[in-house]
Amino acid sequence: MDHSPANSPGASGKDVDAILSGFERLHYIADRSLATAIYLVAKLRKPILVEGHAGLGKTEVAKALAAFLGTRLIRLQCYEGLDVSSALYEWNYQKQLLAIKIQEQSNQTVEEKERHVFSREFLLERPLLQSILAEDASPVLLIDEIDRTDEAFEAFLLELLSDFQVSIPELGTISAKHVPFVVLTSNRSRELGDALKRRCLYQWIDYPSFEKEMRIVRARLPGMEDELAGHVVRYVQAVRQLRLSKQPGVAETLDCAQALMALGKRRLDAEGLEETLGCISKSVEDSERVRTASGDLLIASTTGRR
Amino acid sequence: MTAETPNDLAAAIVGFCRFARTRGLSGGVQATLAALAAAASLGIARQEDLKCGLRSVLCSSKEEWDLFDGLFEAFWSGSDSPRAKQSTKRREAAESFENRENAGALMSGAVASGVSEDEGSQAVTGASARERLRRADFSTLNQDDLAALEQIALHLLGRMSRRLSRSWRIANRRGKVDLRRTIRHNISRGGEWIDLRYREKRPRPSRLVILLDISGSMSPYSLLLLRFVYALKKHFKRVDAFLFSTELVEITDTLRALRLPDALRALSQVAAGWSGGTKIGASLRDLNHLHARKLRHGDTFFLILSDGLDTGEPEELAAELRAVKRRVRKLVWLNPLLALPNYQPIAQGMSAALPHVDVFAPAHNLESLLALEKHL
Repeated sequence: MDHSPANSPGASGKDVDAILSGFERLHYIADRSLATAIYLVAKLRKPILVEGHAGLGKTEVAKALAAFLGTRLIRLQCYEGLDVSSALYEWNYQKQLLAIKIQEQSNQTVEEKERHVFSREFLLERPLLQSILAEDASPVLLIDEIDRTDEAFEAFLLELLSDFQVSIPELGTISAKHVPFVVLTSNRSRELGDALKRRCLYQWIDYPSFEKEMRIVRARLPGMEDELAGHVVRYVQAVRQLRLSKQPGVAETLDCAQALMALGKRRLDAEGLEETLGCISKSVEDSERVRTASGDLLIASTTGRR
Repeated sequence: MTAETPNDLAAAIVGFCRFARTRGLSGGVQATLAALAAAASLGIARQEDLKCGLRSVLCSSKEEWDLFDGLFEAFWSGSDSPRAKQSTKRREAAESFENRENAGALMSGAVASGVSEDEGSQAVTGASARERLRRADFSTLNQDDLAALEQIALHLLGRMSRRLSRSWRIANRRGKVDLRRTIRHNISRGGEWIDLRYREKRPRPSRLVILLDISGSMSPYSLLLLRFVYALKKHFKRVDAFLFSTELVEITDTLRALRLPDALRALSQVAAGWSGGTKIGASLRDLNHLHARKLRHGDTFFLILSDGLDTGEPEELAAELRAVKRRVRKLVWLNPLLALPNYQPIAQGMSAALPHVDVFAPAHNLESLLALEKHL
């Protein structure tokens, strides 16, 4: 993708179409907005920040992108207290100590010994360093749930994302041969810093429309009958109107649909609804609300009327 | 869209970025450059693609994302659509609101005086003034001081939350070997590592539940305590916040709002129309009944900010507080009245509550709030 589409109008449209159909082959149903953003990730070489509620396939974006580009996916799962030594690199101290002990009797000079224990052999490569060291092609670096880390780590990440090089005092500076494609995801449990957001392209993933969700169910569960799929999707869409404290995402729709298939249902009924309640709601209060509204939900999902 | 040559397109994109900036998007020159690059690679053959592309370049939050489509329509159709105008108005109103009377004055119930933050910080300058403000009782501050104090509070509380979030501390047992200190310590033994030094994860309660009293008697303090709540938000994995006077209102979601001034404005609306009178016991009962699962023993830190002037039954307060105490790791009661030289916690409610409180501390000025760090 290195031609200049400004001179060839419509070429970019084709590229975006290619992303759309390529993702669909990988069973990821993207909309045009996401495909355009992905196109720009490749064109502008900027990281993309994907935000949205849980269970809407944010992480899948990176997986699909890696599969689409035929490149490696490197994942950094963020958590509270994540620090540089588990995200970037660390020396394998135990191995170094053993090596020093073994070398004690050898007649190498101190410099040689030092060079040996601080060589790549003793370096534990964590995800961020792996993404910089990639040898043959740009990998996809997924930084998952960035909102779980603290501000200090975010600032460090910002620095890394701007030049893709790492200084390891004992080894020198390592620059990325192939700049990775970076996908960050966030659940908005905390506002990210302005500087980081400004550096990224942004994509908000909302709950899908009925049509899109049907396509996702069909793509993911090809063995499912259309009638049941329609029921489940309409049911979950109606549940989202209830404003539960934990709204069911697409992941929940798929769980529910799979559960109904496993139960051998041909259509959604009161019994099936009760049995799969655990797929849809994840707390006692929410279950109670779904149960109270179950009559209406059943009518809405089997007849298509609200 | 009439742009035909690349130059026209570039001019139009720059114009659009400028337009969008005046109407609520935050991007600067960098965003404009990125928008130009995006437009250059997307071309103008498909307006839908251009729109999607510009949206992902220029937006950086859900709020901006929602705003974008209206702006795009408005700009490329040549006229300011009513929807865009409306949001502009809203924003202008919001800005003038912020400048004219910082949301703080509203929260504390004071009358808007037209003092801007700049004038405020000019009124008090230098370290000595800052020291004075740190120690000044919130209820004695005038409008000028309030504005300056808010600046200082934001700074200091921010620093506090950063300090608290450092996740490793030096330890004597277990945990990870602290190589740096180990090497240093063993120099005297010829570099042999005989004595290992360790560090461990700073243990911290991962959840915080805050109850903030906003009854009439607390009004001089409410605002700054709320700022305090906001600063703490960053330090804990999860903060559940509630306001109470005669009933309990959850404000967790409001606090998650984008920016502090917005949050304060929203909260001042929640709090508006609440009359005096404090029923701490009843509020705690609501908490125990409706929000019990937010209190998880072992990792919950419970904070009440109240003067303890209770108009409910002291027995109820004591019983409910005992129930809370059983469920949390530490129960802290902050009372602004504690700073009064002759204050004794003999108000019925307060004396009933005290046996169940782990830490009883003042909260009348900034310094007392900052001192809380050692209990967290």
